[in-house]
Amino acid sequence: MDLFSNLALGFATAASPWNLLFCLIGVLLGTLIGVLPGIGATATIAMLLPITFQLEPVSSLIMLAGIYYGAQYGGSTTAILINMPGESSSAVTAIDGYQMARKGKAGAALAIAAIGSFFAGTVSTFLVAIFAPPLTSIALQFGAAEYFSLMVVGLVSSIALAHGSIIKALAMVVLGLLLGLVGTDIYSGTPRFTLGIREYADGLNFVAVAVGVFGVAEILRNLESEKTRTAVITKVSGLFPSREELRAIVAPVLRGTAIGSALGILPGGGAILASFASYTVEKRVSQRPEEFGHGAVAGVAGPESANNAGAQTSFIPMLTLGIPANPVMALMIGAMIIQGIVPGPNVATEQPALFWGIIASMWIGNLMLVILNLPLIGLWVKLLTVPYYVLFPIIMAFCSIGVYSVNGNPYDLYAVALFGLLGYGLVKLRCEPAPLLLGFVLGPLLEENLRRAMIISRGDPSVFVTRPISAILLLIAVAVLVVVFLPSVRRKREEVFVEED
Amino acid sequence: MKALLASLAAALTLATTSFASAQSFPERNITIVVPFSAGGPTDTVTRLVAEAMSKDLGQQVLVENVGGAGGTLGAARVADAEADGYTLLLHHIGMATSATLYRKLPFDTLNAFEYIGLVTEVPMTLVARKDLEPTDLKGLIEYAKANKDTVTVANAGIGAASHLCGMLFMSAIETPLVTVPYKGTGPAMTDLLGGQVDIMCDQTTNTTKQIQGGTIKAYAVTAPERLDVLPDVPTGSEAGLKEFDVSIWHGLYAPKGTPSEVVDRLSKSLQAALADQNVIDRFAELGTEPSPAEDATPAALKAKLEGEIDRWKPVIEAAGQYAD
Amino acid sequence: MKSLSFDKVNGFAGLLFIILGGFFAVQAYGLDLGTAFRMGPGYFPLVLAVILIGLGLIVLIQATQVSGEALGAVAWRGMLLILPAPIVFGLTVRGLGFVPSLFLTALVASFASTRMTILRALLVAAAVTIFASLVFIEALGLPFRLFGPWLGY
Repeated sequence: MDLFSNLALGFATAASPWNLLFCLIGVLLGTLIGVLPGIGATATIAMLLPITFQLEPVSSLIMLAGIYYGAQYGGSTTAILINMPGESSSAVTAIDGYQMARKGKAGAALAIAAIGSFFAGTVSTFLVAIFAPPLTSIALQFGAAEYFSLMVVGLVSSIALAHGSIIKALAMVVLGLLLGLVGTDIYSGTPRFTLGIREYADGLNFVAVAVGVFGVAEILRNLESEKTRTAVITKVSGLFPSREELRAIVAPVLRGTAIGSALGILPGGGAILASFASYTVEKRVSQRPEEFGHGAVAGVAGPESANNAGAQTSFIPMLTLGIPANPVMALMIGAMIIQGIVPGPNVATEQPALFWGIIASMWIGNLMLVILNLPLIGLWVKLLTVPYYVLFPIIMAFCSIGVYSVNGNPYDLYAVALFGLLGYGLVKLRCEPAPLLLGFVLGPLLEENLRRAMIISRGDPSVFVTRPISAILLLIAVAVLVVVFLPSVRRKREEVFVEED
Repeated sequence: MKALLASLAAALTLATTSFASAQSFPERNITIVVPFSAGGPTDTVTRLVAEAMSKDLGQQVLVENVGGAGGTLGAARVADAEADGYTLLLHHIGMATSATLYRKLPFDTLNAFEYIGLVTEVPMTLVARKDLEPTDLKGLIEYAKANKDTVTVANAGIGAASHLCGMLFMSAIETPLVTVPYKGTGPAMTDLLGGQVDIMCDQTTNTTKQIQGGTIKAYAVTAPERLDVLPDVPTGSEAGLKEFDVSIWHGLYAPKGTPSEVVDRLSKSLQAALADQNVIDRFAELGTEPSPAEDATPAALKAKLEGEIDRWKPVIEAAGQYAD
Repeated sequence: MKSLSFDKVNGFAGLLFIILGGFFAVQAYGLDLGTAFRMGPGYFPLVLAVILIGLGLIVLIQATQVSGEALGAVAWRGMLLILPAPIVFGLTVRGLGFVPSLFLTALVASFASTRMTILRALLVAAAVTIFASLVFIEALGLPFRLFGPWLGY
């Protein structure tokens, strides 16, 4: 096993002064742009991509990877501070992170996110280094039937995202699934629910929907009680988590890392489930599930770790197969090709310095992020003392830029307004936006894989139970359902419900 | 405040000079619209060409991604743009096929653009999962005909290169197979690698590294001659499959009404960019080469577009699949 | 069952789900449905839309049985000024150019708060515009024009 010589080569490459510098620049730029509201990792990378072209291949990819972690971290920061997620993963962080911030624990929430991310990043980097090739072959066992069953598990677990009425949460998931289907049906080319607007032929933009139902709706909610409420956020108490809080996040971080690492390997969109799945698990195993949705530390620590671990392991299919697992990886591949490296199954043997250099830089980048961001927490939290009436025009301006920069499509901006209205309406009617977003990302995957599995099996639905991985996943889904509707659990939920009323 | 004043002043001087003669073109940044999202093969081709064109023109050539609706949104954007040579479009074969695939296009494909020149013609490869039985193209055709209800053909969605090539393959062997669409090349290639689907026909930009790595099997290239990067893969006609010669050609366009001096300048610049060593090297790694200077001209692109619209119309109509 | 009261929050929520479900159901019904084993583009959405209507009905029925919180104040002024902000940006960014368009967007949004004075709003909008122009256009080179053709550029 020449793992150690490989890693040594990687660290030697990544730790050269130039590469360290570019890693730092990448992490810094990624954080700074990503922290602007409504601008998530994809938009940040698309914006910063051209500036990496002038560099050496290894340096440019190290910088790009740094931008990626930085942007993702920045996205979590805005999710926590102003309830404005720029990616599906940080939508989950917004649920409890923003509640912590409202209770004056913004600093603690940010620190927990940073620590969780760093730990998850460290573990999953080594997973990538040790297991990349064998894990890839497992990932390739996943066909349409397996992905469908995986999405069913995700769907069933979504009930845990709600902290109010289960029925309303289910309705929100279904509404999200339907919204996810807007756009051209890939099997027949038929436009669906686009009202004849060609700009929606590729579906609704995720950032537009997320910014609308979370961010804009939150701004409106804050505006309605302007006269009675002076400050949105109560006094900030302590920038760092307490000893008890740190102890409380150990298990969630470990579980989140495991979940994220496993799901991130799947190239067909497993990583988007990572943070949702972790949240579900944390809520299920928690002694006090009633705290979830009201600022539970585990609700921040678990999903943030899962998210970062998933981000890290989603490099596996790209590095070992040359296949992008998500839009960010597609951008990375584009950047590699421009640099003259066409990713494929041979990158590891043909370009060992590059391959291992990137892996080593992942860890270095994560280390830099945590060092950089812990002191910055004070600064971010200070931002909250900016009067709200100054803050929200700025937020609206940046999210307009962020949404528009992804595809240059003005209709995405109109969607922000529409979903802002819908999101605000739903918030007023005590419906929570997180299940809707989960449905939105799952909708197309669920339908696509269901129909694909049926086409490949020539219309035989038994594939879902005769293929072993699919069958196991469906069993898990059933198990989750049973747990949810077990009397004891239901009683617990009802207590929560009563407490809320 | 100073910064605002300064930028205002700069903008004002820019405005007054923009009425100067076309002789001095270009005087500011040029934007090439790519009608697909960043990171894809067309985006990559554009960024390489844009960088080389910047050197020749002495002005920054920026790339703007306006993705959506099979490339028609970006094309429509450029069709409506000012005809001053500062907004260009780099589009591939989809320019010709969307004229038939979309029955309600917001622009008239043949009359909305000025032609600058062809950029590159990327050959396609007919590939399969690595454990598919047949050993050569002849065997594959027999196998496909014998098992037409179970042989699956993946593609990256309606209008994608792999969709067009798949249609052409099925019409060439006169056998309809089971089509399995995906959203993009990535997931389609994943399932091919995993052996979930049987065959696919896609650009060398996407398949070369996989073929070289032995993770998929190649039966044919759709070029008139064998490719340098894949010397062991026969051409379609070598193996007896006529009319299976297809390439994903890319062209550079400007809005209709762009002054001819400007178009000529851009065409010269494109030719210079395509002769750039960096462009040649990068294209070679992708399994393609820049179009020769005589093809990087308005006349050649016009002829290509017109010929390809006529060629694909019957194929698409026979398949009966439209994108709107 | 204390009284025949009707919980407004849940009532409206149920109605909203039924209306949205109805919209999707009608639209999906116009598409090719196919069969369960050979689904057309309308099959899956139709099933979902019917489920949504069903869930909406349950919420509506629950509304007549338990009473919950009141609806509370509605941010009419906010809705009137915040929601148009991105629309303004979308309508004008290509015509007016990045600088005037972003300025307008921030300005419109500013007035959503009753605490905003005209001077402050102008200052905030100008500051955002300058910052964004420097970062996104000057430093990052995003391909947006600072001033657009409507202004004669």
